[in-house]
Amino acid sequence: MIQYNTFTLDNGLTVIHHQDESTQLCVINTLYNVGSKHEDPNKTGFAHLFEHLMFGGSVNIEEFDEELQNAGGESNAFTSNDITNYYLTLPSNNIETGFWLESDRMLSLDFSQESLDVQKSVVIEEFKERYLNQPYGDVWLKILPLAYKVHPYSWPTIGKEISHIENATLDDVKSFFKSFYCPNNAVLVVAGNISLEKCNMLCEKWFAPIPKHQINKPQYQKEPKQTEARKETVYAEVPQDMIVMAYHIPARTDKGYYVADLISDILGAGKSSRLYNALVKKNPMFSELDAYLSGDIDEGLLLIEGKLLPGINMDEAELAITQELNKLKTTDVEDLELQKVKNKSETNILFNDVGSLNKAMKLAYAFVLGDIELVNKEAEHYLSVNQIDIKALAKEIFDLNNCSTLYYRKK
Amino acid sequence: MNIDRTVAPQTEEISSFNLVEANPTKIENGINIHRIQAGNEAVLKVDFVFNAGSLHQSKKGQASLTNRMIGEGTSKYTSQQLADALDFYGAYISTRSATDESSVTLYCLSKHLSSCLTYIYEMLTDANFPEEDLKILKQNSVQKLAVNEQKNSFLVRKYFYSSIFGEENPYGSSINKEDYLNINRQDLVEFYQTSYINKLEHILISGQADDSTMLEIEAFCKKFNNTITRKTLPFPKFDGSPERKKFHNKPGSSQSAIRIGRPIFNRSHMDFRKFQLLNLILGGYFGSRLMKNIREDKGLTYGIYSSLESYKNGGCWYIETEMNNDLREKGLFEIYKELKTLREELIDNEELQTAKNYLLGSFLRSIDSPFSLADRYKILLDYNLEYSYYYEFIEIVKNTKAEEIRSLAKEYLQEADLYEIIVGC
Repeated sequence: MIQYNTFTLDNGLTVIHHQDESTQLCVINTLYNVGSKHEDPNKTGFAHLFEHLMFGGSVNIEEFDEELQNAGGESNAFTSNDITNYYLTLPSNNIETGFWLESDRMLSLDFSQESLDVQKSVVIEEFKERYLNQPYGDVWLKILPLAYKVHPYSWPTIGKEISHIENATLDDVKSFFKSFYCPNNAVLVVAGNISLEKCNMLCEKWFAPIPKHQINKPQYQKEPKQTEARKETVYAEVPQDMIVMAYHIPARTDKGYYVADLISDILGAGKSSRLYNALVKKNPMFSELDAYLSGDIDEGLLLIEGKLLPGINMDEAELAITQELNKLKTTDVEDLELQKVKNKSETNILFNDVGSLNKAMKLAYAFVLGDIELVNKEAEHYLSVNQIDIKALAKEIFDLNNCSTLYYRKK
Repeated sequence: MNIDRTVAPQTEEISSFNLVEANPTKIENGINIHRIQAGNEAVLKVDFVFNAGSLHQSKKGQASLTNRMIGEGTSKYTSQQLADALDFYGAYISTRSATDESSVTLYCLSKHLSSCLTYIYEMLTDANFPEEDLKILKQNSVQKLAVNEQKNSFLVRKYFYSSIFGEENPYGSSINKEDYLNINRQDLVEFYQTSYINKLEHILISGQADDSTMLEIEAFCKKFNNTITRKTLPFPKFDGSPERKKFHNKPGSSQSAIRIGRPIFNRSHMDFRKFQLLNLILGGYFGSRLMKNIREDKGLTYGIYSSLESYKNGGCWYIETEMNNDLREKGLFEIYKELKTLREELIDNEELQTAKNYLLGSFLRSIDSPFSLADRYKILLDYNLEYSYYYEFIEIVKNTKAEEIRSLAKEYLQEADLYEIIVGC
């Protein structure tokens, strides 16, 4: 059970406070409600590039990191399809430094061409390191545009291509900031050894004076229901063939999301899962075989990803996976198996609650999902799933016409 | 309220910290139980530690595969039955095999501990290494290795350790395809007999480990007929390559992976903690000289770090990065320039103070969760140190002078002593 208080400043900034007197640290987690899905399809990778620029100095503070480190703190950030999340941790007696730093970069950045040029190169090296210079590194770049034809989830957060990052201008940066980086498009979580009074006082002091902006959220289209099987084959210098199958699933706030999550656990999480036992152990066709969710807020994907053993035929491997998926459509999951994946989710939830930073991120994300109390209700959502739900959703999603398949073949 | 945003709020130096200490007890049969009771969630991490690292094996791959096969079947349960049972309790098992030791770790909710221990006991005393499961594990390990061998970052690490320690030394050797293929069931059974059965050395339990939890753990330990005869194995000599610079061509790479470093003392050495500060300044955090110069100023890489690794019988220090092939020479030039600056110039006060404050702050972070407290404690255990080691750490960090940083750099970071390994094209 995570306890919290919440209040909203006049400028629209939502603040969530969580107190933990057993720690000597304090965390400030700032989530901006903007991700790669809000990008212009011709300027992709921008939300993430912007995240890098947020560390390049703000209007009144030249060196973000140096000031933070000098107070004994550390920070980082990540960008997803849906959101951009910044976090910093400080010894709790120095937490005001965090308020000072985080509020100044919400107020305005120190927009400089030089900093933009450097971060463009850094992000291009990141693109190469993580997506190009790795065996199978570009799988995500291939499967997303196959699965999404309309919705902006069709490109990964790093961007569609390097040229989009190369072409980013300082004007783009400024307008992005103006559109999305403001108190009324953010949620601030303050967690750790800090009282509500102090949190309140510091928020009023540092964040309340920041003006709200007019937010211009670009409208994007919902992905229409997929009506045909999609397949693509790529060849690369890799040691073994790989298959990726992506099925559309319900949105994060839909009850069906929890059902899909349990289905992915039944199929492919760990050594007791169905796919592992059937196709890695009993009848070995794969050296690795997993099932997982993309974890997006809008309608996302359930993915099956497997590396084929040498000599195994791709068609047979695909058929074997499909047969396992079909079992979920025709036969009820046994009580014990359902209980097992529910118990796993209970463990995951509790382990993910350890530490103020984890709790802070969870609170911020729950707010964006529309209900902070989700942090305490998710376990119940998993518990309420029954056999009928599993079978019904399996029937709905495990349909050839709802599937995008990538055959990643060894050259 | 009018505020001057150009002025930083007052900060305080970190002067004290609450370190939750471990509570060790020894059972009559010699098993050491270490309890770290902390955290607000009803979760537990339990490490079962054995003197069963690659140092103790007689054949390459023996320690690692034995360790990974521990959960793959016992005479009572098949691998799937074990996995089903532990998964049913929502538990996770991870196994780890290093040079100095091996361990099995259980993550579970406190309420399910005793159920999980039933299966753990079978795994630690009665594993039977089914041929079929071993065949699959070997095959999949060979596949995984083939994928890893396409990664420049994996290759550079492997070449680096073999260069600085020697390919035959336990810290320098790595498993190759033939090693996997040469291992048979009997090798694992033998290693399990000599290094696991009744050889449980330590149990570290961290999280909400209340008194009833400890009773369960004690009862569990008493079931073992432990017979630990401590023998100190002679550690094989280091045999670093005479060739200090090595370039491995990998056509088609878009980036080069680089490691520059050397063997160095381990944690028992009196300079270790000061060297941690020196390492931090050079490449140990986001504000480090390498990161600022090579990433934040020149944009040559996504990341560049330096690290200090300590093992029971040795240690090493290195810088690692991946950068564009075309800009590699420029990057190398800057790396050596930063090393030279450290050896020749005194660090200014402000930079030194920031590094010290950051290091103390990160120490606070490293004692914040029950699991990281267990990691801190394990270090003490491995090197026969007392908690005073950490209390002194604070003092050493605070009192280190700019001159000491420079003289450490002079002593340990001479270019002639460094290895430079590159994989790229």
